[in-house]
Amino acid sequence: MEASAADQGKGCTSRPLAFDKMEGLVREMQDPETGVPVRCQKLFLTSIPSAFMGYDLIEWLMDRLNIEESVEALHIGNLLCQYGYFFPVSDTKNLVVKDDSSLYRFQQTPLYWPWQNNKMPDNVEYAIYLLKRTMRNKQRHGLEEYEMEALNSLKSNLKNKWECITLQADEQVKKAKGMKKCDKIVLDSQERAFWRVNRPPPGFLNSLEYVPIPSRSRSSKPKKRSIEDVQREVDFLRRCLDRTRIKMSVALESLMQYCEMFCEWDPMVTPPQPSNPWTSEDPSFWSINSPIVEIPTEKRVRRWAISMEELVSDPTGLQEFTNYLRKEYSHENIRFWLAVNSLRRSSQREIPQRVKDIYSEFLAPGAPCEVNIDGKTMERTQQELKNPSRFTFDPAAEHVYTLLLKKDCYPRFRRSEMYKQLLAAGVQPSAKKRFFNFGPGKKKNQPQALLQQQQSTAASLSQQVQQGSLAGRRRGSDRSLSGSAHELAVSGVRDKDLNRTVSHSHSQSNLSDIPYRGDLPPACHSKVAPSIWSSLDPPGGSSDEGGGQARSTADDVCPWDSGPPRALAPEPTSQVGRTSRKNSSQLDSGGSSSDISIAIAEVSTHDGSCTP
Amino acid sequence: MAGEVTRTPDENLESLIKEADTLKARLEDERLKLNDVTLSHVAERLDMISLLNVKPRRVLRGHQAKVLCSDWCADKRHIVSSSQDGKMIIWDAFTTNKEHAVTMPTTWVMACAYAPSGNLVACGGLDNKVTVYSLTSGENVSSQNVSSQKKTVGTHTSYMSCCTFPNSDQQILTGSGDSTCALWDVESGQMLQNFHGHTGDVMALDLAPSEIGNTFVSGSCDKMVLIWDMRTGHCVQSFEGHQSDINSVKFHPSGDAVATGSDDSTCRLFDLRADKEVAVYTKESIIFGVNSVDFSVSGRLLFAGYNDYTVNVWDTLKCTRVSLLIGHENRVSCLQVSPDGTALSTGSWDCTLRIWA
Repeated sequence: MEASAADQGKGCTSRPLAFDKMEGLVREMQDPETGVPVRCQKLFLTSIPSAFMGYDLIEWLMDRLNIEESVEALHIGNLLCQYGYFFPVSDTKNLVVKDDSSLYRFQQTPLYWPWQNNKMPDNVEYAIYLLKRTMRNKQRHGLEEYEMEALNSLKSNLKNKWECITLQADEQVKKAKGMKKCDKIVLDSQERAFWRVNRPPPGFLNSLEYVPIPSRSRSSKPKKRSIEDVQREVDFLRRCLDRTRIKMSVALESLMQYCEMFCEWDPMVTPPQPSNPWTSEDPSFWSINSPIVEIPTEKRVRRWAISMEELVSDPTGLQEFTNYLRKEYSHENIRFWLAVNSLRRSSQREIPQRVKDIYSEFLAPGAPCEVNIDGKTMERTQQELKNPSRFTFDPAAEHVYTLLLKKDCYPRFRRSEMYKQLLAAGVQPSAKKRFFNFGPGKKKNQPQALLQQQQSTAASLSQQVQQGSLAGRRRGSDRSLSGSAHELAVSGVRDKDLNRTVSHSHSQSNLSDIPYRGDLPPACHSKVAPSIWSSLDPPGGSSDEGGGQARSTADDVCPWDSGPPRALAPEPTSQVGRTSRKNSSQLDSGGSSSDISIAIAEVSTHDGSCTP
Repeated sequence: MAGEVTRTPDENLESLIKEADTLKARLEDERLKLNDVTLSHVAERLDMISLLNVKPRRVLRGHQAKVLCSDWCADKRHIVSSSQDGKMIIWDAFTTNKEHAVTMPTTWVMACAYAPSGNLVACGGLDNKVTVYSLTSGENVSSQNVSSQKKTVGTHTSYMSCCTFPNSDQQILTGSGDSTCALWDVESGQMLQNFHGHTGDVMALDLAPSEIGNTFVSGSCDKMVLIWDMRTGHCVQSFEGHQSDINSVKFHPSGDAVATGSDDSTCRLFDLRADKEVAVYTKESIIFGVNSVDFSVSGRLLFAGYNDYTVNVWDTLKCTRVSLLIGHENRVSCLQVSPDGTALSTGSWDCTLRIWA
């Protein structure tokens, strides 16, 4: 039995594999010894031949397929029914399986199974079937309205064949008359169920619908391969043989380590703080974790320590890192790397100009922000420059990334005071919403912090950090009192500030840099550029450039940051506006959920307005 | 050399095929040598995953026909979806509002994608083309306006089955029923690179998760998974193992492995460094094909959407099923974890999209 199913499968290249599996299963089901018990069932006074009961089927499926929950078995039963392997005896319309004593009958002959011999039943067969029914007892075999319509349209479409069709239908009706009543009932029901599946009434699910993709007809006769194709494959296989592989155990261990490490940041495994917006209807998780935030959460800052990739793939992380390097006067490396990344992704038209710009800014002799690459890489780059492309600076960027950024700058950043302070200042959103009972001390502090915030419109990073650390200490002292919504309101304001200030000059940064120099352990920077520490004032040009850099960073790395903050930090007003639009449009369910979000939005409006 | 000259081309081809077969066998040997443990064995020491209570949280209704593809916006709450009747809808999934609707001049829009900026969407299908629409922000953009700001970027010689913006609004990567993939310049419509190597319809592709990553993976009806170098256009690695069409491929968030979903009703995990299949996710009770797979952000969970209307959630390490999500009333055609991992979107032939969290 198994073998014959497999053979059939081979013949039908275009048939999805699931049909082979279903057929295998149904064959097992029909086994007289080990299958689903089929018998003549008594129902009141009538007896129903060759039928089985719903719960026998479910039990058999659970047993055979090692299913723990009956829901799953019921689901599979329903699918097999929809595909027409068996059908409810007393319901010709709905192909639904119930886990009770309701009765079902198999399509015994595989001819009535779906997708046989790689062809769908054609309209001639359908016409014969419908016509047959009109020739028989009207009460039992009368056509449904949709079947009437189908018959009429078939009649006009198959005019030239109609004689033949009538003849065949006639013959079949006659043949049926000679059959035993019991067999007739079974056969009739099977035929009817077959057409119920293959020509479903309008509005019902058609499980056998024709799908134009993938175009499998192609795969049935594979293209003849040319010598070039095979040569390419041989070359590819040779290269594969040379590939270095690692042991399975090593690979698996590292996959496991990755998962274990990131479980904490996986909202599907560890509930996010303060809450998952989709379940709580409270979008504060998103506003706290916007791409660019002034004070990132502690959890987010911790993630930056995992790897440089984690740091630079987070826009806020990248910004902090860039600022750190700027203070160290070594941010030309990260700027170069970012410029090359954006070159690779820019439109073809801009490439020549961009290549020129990058060269003159970072690589040309005496360039304003010359990056330090070795002679060999430089030579290669010069070679590539003759034919400028998206990839011209890849070797140089690779060199800068692995040797300078990853092995030198990043570890220093991770050990730096700045990072430690970011970590200490990190927001710790708590799941508990206790924002109505902050202590009196807190109320006093909050406006002050805000005031500072607003004064520093030209917020340079170190200022932000300092305030961040201030705020962090404050939070640290009375963290238990702090409420998420409160913090949300604050960070919302800060977001706005930041957006406004990005384009401003950073002239104040010199001053605010000062306290930082003391903070940094001397051992750290002595290696980089000891000379810069001798002067308190950075060279005049650098501050302006810094401003430009901040802007270009935002543009290049994450274009979505530069736009309006859109839905990321939805302001309460826009939220309400949106919901009202929703109400006006004729939409479906989910109304209740948006009501909740209005409520929340109102709460936070309230909160936000009372803070300053 | 002299011997080769006298050979007929047929003989030459034959000997090359023979050589390819020998090389394949040797390759398999090499891989087996390093096959010292199995994943479920190594993962024994791990705790069972404590499954969060994932439930349907939103139903997005509005499509009049089968939903075939969807993609999250980087803002974590907008979704673009495309359907069989040629409609493309932009949703605010959080409020379930429709923000734009575009009608395509084709049916079976099998692929759609959000650009990283959130300002563009791309889609295509049986029209063999990839078309980019600009969604300029602002409240007063009517759907007609969106339709007028469209641009055909690339054309394949068969249907387009999948597309994605490779970390840039300026480029788009497509896969097609013509068994190739291609990288296009959005502005000029120029083909920057094409990728030949599959011998069947390409059904899915996914970008490596690195910022600098220049590789992507593709899965095809030829049952092969290929890893590509976007710069050279060369295939750098290949995996086989599936017994039927591969409908979906996804990089593990670590970038070291890829997961696949196939019509053979299994999902598999292939490790790039071990250069072989490391896990098969299957169960006797699952008999229908997989249309779409995606990882949770830690890579611990693999969500897979099936033709049997369900979503199975797999523990990728213990290779066990941790949950079964039943809700859709027809095939689950597409599925994607939101960019921050807080939710899962599924699209189905029952004309709805659902958000699970």
